[in-house]
Amino acid sequence: MSQQLSSKPFYIEKIEGRRIPDPLIKDCFAVFACRHKFCREVCPVYQDDRDESHTSYGFHATLLAISQGMGELSDVREQVTNCLECGACELRCPNTLFAGDFYGASTTTVDLVRKVRRDLVAADIGFEKYEAIVAVIDQYLKYFEGPEEDLTRWAEGLDLPFKGETMLFVDYFNAFETTVVARNAAKIMAGAGVEFGILRRPGATLGELLDVNLEAFVEHARHNVSELAAAGAKRVVLINPHDYTYFTRDYVSHLGELPFEVVYITDFISELIDEGKIKFDGANPLKAGKVSYHDPCTLNKICGITESPRRIIRSLPGVEFVDVSPVAQWSYCCGKGSASFKALHPDTSYRIGSKRLQDAADVGVERLVVACPHCEDQLTDVRARSGAVVEPVHLLALVAQAMGLS
Amino acid sequence: MTSVIVHEGIEGAIADLRLALGSDYVLTEYFHRAIRTASAAPFGLHLWQDTLPDVVVRPGSSSEVVEIVRIANQWKVPIVPRGAGAGLADGAMPLKRGVVVDVKRMHEVLEIDEENHTVTVQPGINMMELNKILRPLNLWFPDDPASYPVNVLGGRIGTGGWSLVGGGYGHIPDNVISMEVVLPTGAVIRVGEGGGRKIRKSSSGFRLKDLFIGHQGTLGICTEVTLDLAPRPQAELPVFFAMRSWEDAHRLTLALGNSGLRTLCGVFQFDERKVDFLRRDDEAWIPLPEWVRAATGAICYGTEAEVEAAKTIIFEIGAAHGGTYLGQEMSEGDWASRHDRYHLAYHGRSKGQIKLLAWSIDDCAIPWSELPAVKKRWYEIADALVAKYPEHFDVWGMFMYTNNPFRPWGDHLAELDLGINELEMTPEIWKEWIEAKTEIARVAVQHGGSVSACHGGTREGEVNVACYEELAEGQFELMKQIKRLLDPNNIMNPGKYNLDEAYGGEAL
Repeated sequence: MSQQLSSKPFYIEKIEGRRIPDPLIKDCFAVFACRHKFCREVCPVYQDDRDESHTSYGFHATLLAISQGMGELSDVREQVTNCLECGACELRCPNTLFAGDFYGASTTTVDLVRKVRRDLVAADIGFEKYEAIVAVIDQYLKYFEGPEEDLTRWAEGLDLPFKGETMLFVDYFNAFETTVVARNAAKIMAGAGVEFGILRRPGATLGELLDVNLEAFVEHARHNVSELAAAGAKRVVLINPHDYTYFTRDYVSHLGELPFEVVYITDFISELIDEGKIKFDGANPLKAGKVSYHDPCTLNKICGITESPRRIIRSLPGVEFVDVSPVAQWSYCCGKGSASFKALHPDTSYRIGSKRLQDAADVGVERLVVACPHCEDQLTDVRARSGAVVEPVHLLALVAQAMGLS
Repeated sequence: MTSVIVHEGIEGAIADLRLALGSDYVLTEYFHRAIRTASAAPFGLHLWQDTLPDVVVRPGSSSEVVEIVRIANQWKVPIVPRGAGAGLADGAMPLKRGVVVDVKRMHEVLEIDEENHTVTVQPGINMMELNKILRPLNLWFPDDPASYPVNVLGGRIGTGGWSLVGGGYGHIPDNVISMEVVLPTGAVIRVGEGGGRKIRKSSSGFRLKDLFIGHQGTLGICTEVTLDLAPRPQAELPVFFAMRSWEDAHRLTLALGNSGLRTLCGVFQFDERKVDFLRRDDEAWIPLPEWVRAATGAICYGTEAEVEAAKTIIFEIGAAHGGTYLGQEMSEGDWASRHDRYHLAYHGRSKGQIKLLAWSIDDCAIPWSELPAVKKRWYEIADALVAKYPEHFDVWGMFMYTNNPFRPWGDHLAELDLGINELEMTPEIWKEWIEAKTEIARVAVQHGGSVSACHGGTREGEVNVACYEELAEGQFELMKQIKRLLDPNNIMNPGKYNLDEAYGGEAL
């Protein structure tokens, strides 16, 4: 098994006190020396607080400063929490844009933030509101250790098998909090005539775990891969884009090539539409009105899946689609983050979410389609608290309605 | 490392700043201070601690800026205004430590006046951000530096910035109509053309507005600015010609400037060594035949009809001067990437191997006729430096752009780009680099030029040439008198432009 922490193997060596490993110094210098700071304007956190300490430039420059004798690891306790892990800064970095492929020198801020969080935990320093993250992890690990029927209760009445060449992987967030998303996915797949199964006891797929307890994250990854393989999976369909990043990036880094194909639900549905297996009965699922689409950060900025959700929306009968390009959406985010950003910075999170709904209102739509359970959860919450006009709606709900499944 | 300056009043000042701004916006942690030391110019990592500010403050309003200035005067601690930190002349570097005033929280659009073509904004707004807001109104703030996506207006004003399309639309000094400025004493004034906030030309009073543009944060902090807006042009036309020699490119530049085309907003040249550098290192480089040794580019903005007519004339002039049009795709692609491709540490080379190098740039203003001689002498200086320290320096060639506002002829911004190894810098090599910069600046002045067309002449190495050679005919003496008049306690960005001389032994 590879022990690689990211595409940059030197991230494995821990930062201790003021000692920054040499390759990491160069990595940080490449961002510091750039000083274009294109990473700044595109960062949703910076757009809100206008504090460049919380940007990719700020973070890399801080580590470089530590290497030059200014401060030490414990100084980044606050800074390290101010990252949504959305990946916008990585994409906008000239190192990634122009030298990434050729030199293997892309900027990997998200991996670096995770690495530093782990180093802080390993050094018994922790970071601000670390307890909030521990609480989330504890809750999720209890799910794993709890009764099997709790983990699959979301599927009650759907009569799904626990094996199949196609497996629908349902994470804990969808299994316990946004169960409608999971149920819609299952109904759509069944409605399209797909034979598929689910895991009896899926392991935890949790950003917080990846951020602070890599060993446990990898243990759950190994469990998921072996259980899916044992269930006969040739193809695994994911309905949480955060999971898609874990399966396609982190699982591969830690466990090597996976013994099955991984596909995101929007790509899968788009394929089924193309093959004529999903047909819409002509009913407009929204009755009336214009929609726009919100690219989930993990899907757009980290995995580059942007086309299939748009194709699906365009194929829905009667829907007027006002598209905002995925590149323009590099600077957008729902504000929830991949690892408890909302719990760590609730006010900033709320404002980022409010801005996203306002951006949608500004293009003249009534509804904002999302393809991520976290985005739906966050934007629904923000809307309720702010009274925003634009209503978030999950793409799977629209597809299910248009198929007459709801 | 030299001895670090200690300000006795700093603790008292920090306590008062917390009362005035709230603790959230008064930052003393190492990382907040460390990242606000460097600007985009080459940065001596070995000197980092010498210029670490004592505290960073992030005001949210003009009245908070006034409070900061009042507190700084009371405790006699320096204050250094800072915008995006994208400047290339160390203007925002706190040479005497003290209080860095980061203005990026002040980024509101206060008023858009469509009828009079003005927008009034706070200094922390970024131009790209501003133009997104203006676009639906078919208006455009035509300031287009290479750092367009990142820098902020306050910094642009403080450095007296230059724009790629300045040949048609003017540069920052031409596009600021009026400003609110907090003086070093805490007094708040408005400067402009006369007293009208939206008047572009007045004969009332002194032309004080110019005093507060390009002062590198030594005379005040701009807290509100009214800008001139242009109608969004219908058409954009970039044209790039491949040239067999830089001499041909140079002559073509003059011919294009003499064309009389009002839509022509800038003409630029890539010399042989810039083309070599791009061939070597630019991942977006589209292979060109070996005979291509230089390039000349032109950019037009205007109505469809104007630009279409200009295109024919530009093609005729290009062909008559030996230029080969590089095609629409390459021309548009190169122009579109103008904000993205101006430096990458991975483009550094030493003896053919990758070496992470930062970017050093000289940005002198040079008369067109002097460019060949300046270019020759600059390369002699740069090549000698590289020959002596091949692990530390790399020559990245030259660009030259028209510099005259509203008129694409006359003097040019001549840019000499070098790679510099900050990570392995030593005090001795740094000193030799500074000496080389001094020579480069001196050559510019000897040929009737200016040390800086767009960044400011504040850097070590060029500042002495600027003050004592370029501005020797009474200008520097007057600058010192003005500085002393406006800033009796020398609290505003002390150490810059050798202005501490104005205070004798009283400098901080």
